Amino acid sequence: MSEVLHAAMLAAHEANDSAALVRLYTQAADLAAETTGDVDAACFFLTHAYIFALESGAAEAPALRARLVAHGRELPVQEDVEPERALSQLSTFCASASGGKTG
Amino acid sequence: MTRNITDLSQVRRSVEQANGLPNAHYVDESVFDEERQALLYAQWAGLAVAADVPEPGDAVPLSFLGMPLLILRDKAGDVRVFQNICRHRGMILVDEPKKIRGAIRCPYHSWCYSTKGELVSTPHVGGPGQNTHDAVHREDLGLLEVRSHIWRDVIWVNLSGTAPAFEDAMSDVIARWAEFDKPLYHGGADSRFKLEVNTNWKLAVENYCESYHLPWVHPGLNSYSRLEDHYNIESADRYSGQGTMVYRQLKADDGAHFADFEDVGDKWNEQAEYIAVYPNVLLGVHRDHAFAIVLEPQSTNKTVEHIHLYYATPHTNADLRKTNTKMWKTVFEEDIFVVEGMQRGRHADLFDGGRFSPVMDSPTHCFHAWVAGQVEAHRAMKRAAE
Repeated sequence: MSEVLHAAMLAAHEANDSAALVRLYTQAADLAAETTGDVDAACFFLTHAYIFALESGAAEAPALRARLVAHGRELPVQEDVEPERALSQLSTFCASASGGKTG
Repeated sequence: MTRNITDLSQVRRSVEQANGLPNAHYVDESVFDEERQALLYAQWAGLAVAADVPEPGDAVPLSFLGMPLLILRDKAGDVRVFQNICRHRGMILVDEPKKIRGAIRCPYHSWCYSTKGELVSTPHVGGPGQNTHDAVHREDLGLLEVRSHIWRDVIWVNLSGTAPAFEDAMSDVIARWAEFDKPLYHGGADSRFKLEVNTNWKLAVENYCESYHLPWVHPGLNSYSRLEDHYNIESADRYSGQGTMVYRQLKADDGAHFADFEDVGDKWNEQAEYIAVYPNVLLGVHRDHAFAIVLEPQSTNKTVEHIHLYYATPHTNADLRKTNTKMWKTVFEEDIFVVEGMQRGRHADLFDGGRFSPVMDSPTHCFHAWVAGQVEAHRAMKRAAE
């Protein structure tokens, strides 16, 4: 992870900025996957992105969860906190994912 | 252990012959602990009001007799009460009132719960980036929900889980006030206040449920609400209080007044009732407004009175509402010196619990008899368990 990204994460934690935390941890996950192919490292960051999205009710939560599920890191059953919205977003994401966005 | 055993044999005698509760029931820590179990945890006790969490996602942590609880209005709009701890390491989950926008995240290891209390995520529980483990069954690890029920906007809780269903336990008072079973609208920020009082919570109940003190402590009432206009209300082992036959509506200079509760009936034109629902909720009803006082027992000699005023319509005249709040606040503040004075008086070791006026004090005696009965039943159960 770059020092810039690390510093931005610390600042987001300090400011309790959930939107930034979701975005930055997602970036870190993507970076780990792209640069090293380290699934464990990617899922570590992805987990943080998902948890902050889940806590804040962010729209990204279902998609992040689906990525974790795809790697066997989260339960496939959707128990999200806003079932209707989350499920509809999840199905939208899965539809696009099956179109080739993720494996 | 016999130190906390008080002699209650005199308390349950008839009002003509009874003594009040012994001093220890007001000043002794071990008796306070015993009463916490027998009178508060084992009953349907008042905790707060639903108006404290008006919108979905609103969460309010509080401590009730030392137990950390969380009041939460879930995304479907239902009010729930949980023990305010994570099922992982027992960490306090929510430490200040907040809006839960998505999930409740434990600040320690970030286990997350839905507003219905379901455990929805367990990050890294199976190792870094592994968020599941075969040994961790989320369906068994939801938040610990406390039995709760909303009536007259009060959130009642049964912490022991052993009380009869709320509707059965409270059937008498629910039936008595069936005519007031209407929507209640909290008056908002100007219609809530709290009083921190240096007294045992039971003395607040005892003072509330009798009218004997009114002409002396609330002389302002004498001009229209005389002692002889009041009557006693008693339902053994359930509730007691007083009523008046000369309730006079508050009116502004231009004649404006609050709307009545719809179809409440002519009976209530000038009648109002004030009932202490055992253990710790004091309620009042009038044709045009109501109030609830939830007593928060903090220690043997500290109680917080949480007072809320309600109306029949969602929108009311703000000036009139403030006048009404001020009027009730004055009345309740006038009672402070007596409940604090009785508390100090409970350190006089020759006091025998006192004697009652058989005519005027029977609602208080009714409460004492209930306390004695519940404490004795609790002691018997404890003995049997030993």
